[in-house]
Amino acid sequence: MLAVFAVLVVAFGIVARGDAGLVQAGTYVAIFAPAAIGLSVLLGNVNQISVGQAGFFGIGAYAVGYLTVDAGWPFWLAAPVGIAVATVVGVALGFIALRFRGHYLAMATLAFGLITVGVFHAAPFLGRASGITNIPYPQLGALTVSGYPAYWCAWIVAFAAVLVTSALLRSRLGRAFEAIRNDELAAEATGVATRRCKIIAFAYSGALAAAGGAMFAAFLGLVNPDAVGIALSVDFLLMVVLGGSGLVAGALFGAALIGFANVVGHQYDNWREVVYGAVVIAFVVFAPRGVLGLVRGLIARKRTPGPRAARAGEVPADAAAFAEVRAPNDEPLAVRGVTKRFGGLVALDGVSFALQPGTLTSLIGPNGAGKTTLFNAICGIARPSAGRVAIGGVDVTGARPHRIAALGVGRTFQAARLFDEMTVLENVVAGAPRRAGRAATGHARALLARLELADLAAVLAKDLAFGDRRRVELARAVAADPWLLLADEPAAGLNDAERRRLFADLSALRDAGTTIVLIEHDMRLVMAISQRVIVLNFGRVIADGDPQTVRNDPAVIAAYLGTAS
Amino acid sequence: MLQLLIAGLTVGSEYGLIALRIHIILRSTRIVSFAQGEFAIVGGLIAYSAVASLHVSVWLGLIAATLAGAVLGLVFEALVLRPAGRGGETGATIATIGAVFVLLYGHALVPAWGSEGHVLPPFSGASAANLTVANTVIPTQSLWVFGLLLLALAVLYAFFEHTYYGKAIRAAADNPLGARLSGIDVRSARAVSVALAIALAAYGGTIIGPITLVGGAGGFALTIKGFVAAIVGGLESPAGCVAGGLVVGVLEVFLTSRLGYDVADPIVYSVLLVMLLLRPQGLFGRRDAVRD
Repeated sequence: MLAVFAVLVVAFGIVARGDAGLVQAGTYVAIFAPAAIGLSVLLGNVNQISVGQAGFFGIGAYAVGYLTVDAGWPFWLAAPVGIAVATVVGVALGFIALRFRGHYLAMATLAFGLITVGVFHAAPFLGRASGITNIPYPQLGALTVSGYPAYWCAWIVAFAAVLVTSALLRSRLGRAFEAIRNDELAAEATGVATRRCKIIAFAYSGALAAAGGAMFAAFLGLVNPDAVGIALSVDFLLMVVLGGSGLVAGALFGAALIGFANVVGHQYDNWREVVYGAVVIAFVVFAPRGVLGLVRGLIARKRTPGPRAARAGEVPADAAAFAEVRAPNDEPLAVRGVTKRFGGLVALDGVSFALQPGTLTSLIGPNGAGKTTLFNAICGIARPSAGRVAIGGVDVTGARPHRIAALGVGRTFQAARLFDEMTVLENVVAGAPRRAGRAATGHARALLARLELADLAAVLAKDLAFGDRRRVELARAVAADPWLLLADEPAAGLNDAERRRLFADLSALRDAGTTIVLIEHDMRLVMAISQRVIVLNFGRVIADGDPQTVRNDPAVIAAYLGTAS
Repeated sequence: MLQLLIAGLTVGSEYGLIALRIHIILRSTRIVSFAQGEFAIVGGLIAYSAVASLHVSVWLGLIAATLAGAVLGLVFEALVLRPAGRGGETGATIATIGAVFVLLYGHALVPAWGSEGHVLPPFSGASAANLTVANTVIPTQSLWVFGLLLLALAVLYAFFEHTYYGKAIRAAADNPLGARLSGIDVRSARAVSVALAIALAAYGGTIIGPITLVGGAGGFALTIKGFVAAIVGGLESPAGCVAGGLVVGVLEVFLTSRLGYDVADPIVYSVLLVMLLLRPQGLFGRRDAVRD
């Protein structure tokens, strides 16, 4: 798709030569493309809306305007400074954005865009309403980059942005972005530093926009507040949505569509904008994945589900066993006096226990006893109101979930939380965010083979049957070879055969050295598989010991059967 | 001083009404609609046409604009919000931006309207004198704006608090599934909410018309001030939205008179960001639901 676009750009450049209007339209598209690509990463890959993208574009443009005109710097020095400033501002906006979701995030970024324009408007040294004019064209040796050369120069920059972004999205960071887009909490629990990723995305998106802004100022020779206002932010948003959000080529198509829409059809003023608005609505309703999504859908329908599915069938040789793991000390998990209150409700009340390495402990108790809350407190999703949690001798009380995961902790959720828009293989690869490239894929394939899921590798997670979802989630949880595994009702809803297989897998994991905590309701299985059983009721440990002892404990019987103890 | 306060409260009334509409649409559809100011402008223009072409009184114009707003609201809900809402919040918000283009440039295509502003006659007739209290001139039109704002709020309050249908709409907005299980038609409840919000837009655009002119391209700026008002007062609280509008209106008029428009505007927008950071639930909202 990108190659097609590159050919179009070159062909257009050759055909349009001599027609100043067309060349300028083509240059416009290249100037707006980086900002659209940045926003596409933010919106489509990290799921963060921004209605203030023009703010960064403005920072790049004004930096070039001010530094070249007032300070006499050359463009090649001024532009990087503008990009650097935008990156720093992007980090700041990223920090702010961490506090918001949905429409509040839209408002916060809108405010950012309005404030930047307001500052450009109010700052006397930036020329107030009339902006900065007579910005010199960049010099490249003897060549003045303007007009026709500017077209090529702008497209070189735009394609550099395309290539860097494509590489970024293929990297580990790109995989982390994808995980965040699908399920932020699950991403965090599998070890993705979601906060850092979002901040990076904002900074990167801002830097790209500033690069476009710098070209805008240099190639047009002027910048003013109206040129970088909210209308431009809205244009960027529409470019991403019309082109196909989350796709680099989509942002390019979107930039081309809107760039040309802004240049052509002036004789049909008003009608042109009405049609434009109607097209935007039609796209959201009928083609929410944009032009590129539409094209891809057509291509995908024609193609048979070929190469990917076939490749998934190959079973690597080393599929036999789970990796041997060792806890870093002889106390992989120690919970001391953990209490969790939600307002007046005490969900956990002074829970304490410590686990031996390589054992399987079941956590049981009636509904609402606090089992899942305890898991959340251990893996950092819920911060304990009191008490400490130590994992492998490291005090992790209040640490972020991704840091705890990175120590060597895997987790599955009561309702399997898979990355639904990703394939099974990609889900498992995402489970080990620290493993790089080919090694990660190989390892994930081996794991899928071990769990007899290899034939599902190319299936999208959202298309999986219920029982398979559970097993894929287990595969993802153990992808990073954790030495502590927290499994929250992994057997719920499975049929007998699936249950037997699950428990065989869990036993094999334990035999490979993994310390496992299992929440489970099926007493027969709990008694058969566990070395130790801890019973919670109303947030307190009411029994703790080997299965036989616990089964005969009067307090446990009372809790389950409701007789007075 | 008092003069500025009255001017601030007058524009603030319009901001408050916009914020209230944002609240109603958000609460019933979970969509932030950018098409707020544009509907107010189209409403004002309908009133203008009624007065200028049909020679009816401005009061009948107000009623006509409000009713036309309700119809526009039904159309807006059926053609934009409902179909676009299926694809999620972000897409739907973007579709409302599309609607902004259609309304903004579409109204300019109507020969009688064009893209320039038009004068709407004052509510108390051209001859009515302004009130002077303690050396402060209170424009009669400002009093009409306050009065008609209070009237609208009273009607809305009575509707939502004291009628079965109003309560059903609130139930449908707060818990669609539960409402559906209790036999409430959630889809029409949403349609009625949006119709109400757009009728309110047309109403608001008309009552402020004699002061600001109707028509033109200022709708988007109004929408943004409405957002600021809603965040300052509390996006989830209807009373907060109106109060936030008054606060923002007064703040804006005072800052503009002291520092000039160029400096006042960025300060007002900074208030939006500062409020979001320090008190995202707004001055009058509750803490929950902010992060969803």
